[in-house]
Amino acid sequence: MAEHDVIFDAMGSHVRLLIGEPGPGMAPAPAAAEAARRLIVEFDAALSRFKPESELCAFNEDPRERVPASELLRGAVTAGLRAAERSGGLVDPTLVGEIESAGYVASRAGVPGAPLGAALEEAPERRPARPNPAQGWRGFRVDDAAGTISRPPGLRFDSGGTGKGLAADLVAERLRGYSRYIVDCGGDIRIGGADALVTPYEVFVEHPLTGERAFVLKLGSGAVATSGLNVRIWRDESGRYAHHLLDPATGEPAWTGLVGATALGDTAVEAETFAKAALLSGPEGGRDVLAERGGLLVHDDGQVETVGPLAAKPRVRIPDLSSRG
Amino acid sequence: MTERARAARRPGPALVLWSSIAIFAVLFALLTYQLASSQPPAPRPVVVHKVLKRRVVTTYVPTPGRTSVSTSGSVAGESASPGYAPVTTSAS
Repeated sequence: MAEHDVIFDAMGSHVRLLIGEPGPGMAPAPAAAEAARRLIVEFDAALSRFKPESELCAFNEDPRERVPASELLRGAVTAGLRAAERSGGLVDPTLVGEIESAGYVASRAGVPGAPLGAALEEAPERRPARPNPAQGWRGFRVDDAAGTISRPPGLRFDSGGTGKGLAADLVAERLRGYSRYIVDCGGDIRIGGADALVTPYEVFVEHPLTGERAFVLKLGSGAVATSGLNVRIWRDESGRYAHHLLDPATGEPAWTGLVGATALGDTAVEAETFAKAALLSGPEGGRDVLAERGGLLVHDDGQVETVGPLAAKPRVRIPDLSSRG
Repeated sequence: MTERARAARRPGPALVLWSSIAIFAVLFALLTYQLASSQPPAPRPVVVHKVLKRRVVTTYVPTPGRTSVSTSGSVAGESASPGYAPVTTSAS
C-alpha cells in the first residue's frame, strides 16, 4: 500500500498532504496531490490579506456596499461568520485595523517569533478575552444566489482566523474516496479515508513553550487544530510584546493565562474555531469550549491539561483478541 | 348452565392424554426430519491475513528561491521511505 507525501509552502505555513490509494476511477495519488496543491496556492492568492492583488484586498478596498465575489471568497466569509457565531463573537473576522495597529501588517512567514517566555514575564494581567459588543461581523451578508457579499463600506474581513482550516476542508472534500489521507495546512489538520479508521494516524501536539511533543493523538477521522502564541509574536513600536490573537473587546493582544490550545472537531474550520475560542477564553472558559469534543490547554507555566474526551480514562479494559488463534 | 352441563363439556382424560401424545409425536417427527436433512456444520473459515506494508513516497515541493521547504532541512526531491515523518499540529 503506497502513500504519497507532499510538503510545500503556502498561506505563510508549511502544508502537507498524505494521500493513500485512489478509489475506482480516481486519479493516482500524485496527481491528486498536485491538484490539491494548485487549489491551495489559488486559495492563498485569492484570500491573503498580505497580497495587494488578492480578491480579499480588492473586496476590503471596494467602496460599494454590495460587492460581486467569487465562490471562494463567499465561502471564506461564510466560514468566518460561522466561526464568529459559534464562538459568541470571540473569533472575530473583522479585526483587520486592530491587527495592523498591533504591528501585523505584512506576512510573518519565516520570521522567527519573539521569545514567548520573556513575553509572558512582561505581559499584563491575565484575563479572558471578550467579544466586541458592537458585533460588527453581523454586518456581513453573503448572497450565494446573486454571487455577492454586502457589508457597510469600510468594514474589512480577515480570513486569517479560519483560512487554513477552510483550505484543509476544501482539499479533504476532493480526497474523498482515497483509502486514507491527511491534509495539514500549517497545523490545522483534516483526516479521512476508510483505511484511516482501521489504522489511525498519529498526530503529535507541539508544546508552544518547549517545542517538544506535548501529547500524541490517534485520529482516524475528523480534524484537529492548534492555536498558540509562540509563532506570530513580536515587539510593537513601543517595545511591548504583541501577538496575533486579539481580544475583540479591546483590539489588543489577549493574555489569558493560556499559551496554546488544541481542539478536535468534525472539520478543520470547526477545530480551528474551537482552538482559538478556547485560548481566548482562558483556562476556565477554555475547558468549557473543549468539553464536548476534547482538546488540550497549555497554561502559561507550561502545564498541559487534557480536556473532555481526551481527559477521560477508559473504564473497561478490552482484551486484545488479535493474537489469539 | 348447570353443574352437570359443565362437566359434560369438559374433555375426558383419555382425550387429553392421546392429544398430548399426538402433538408430541408430530413435533418429534418434524424435528427429527429437520435434523436429518440439515447440512453438516461448515468448517470454520480460514481468515487470510493480508499483510500490507505501507510505503510512503515523500516529495518536497520547493518554494521558488529556496532549496528546501521541509522543517528537517531535506533538499527538494523525491524519496521512498518505509514510514513517514510525524504529523504535527502546532500554532502557525
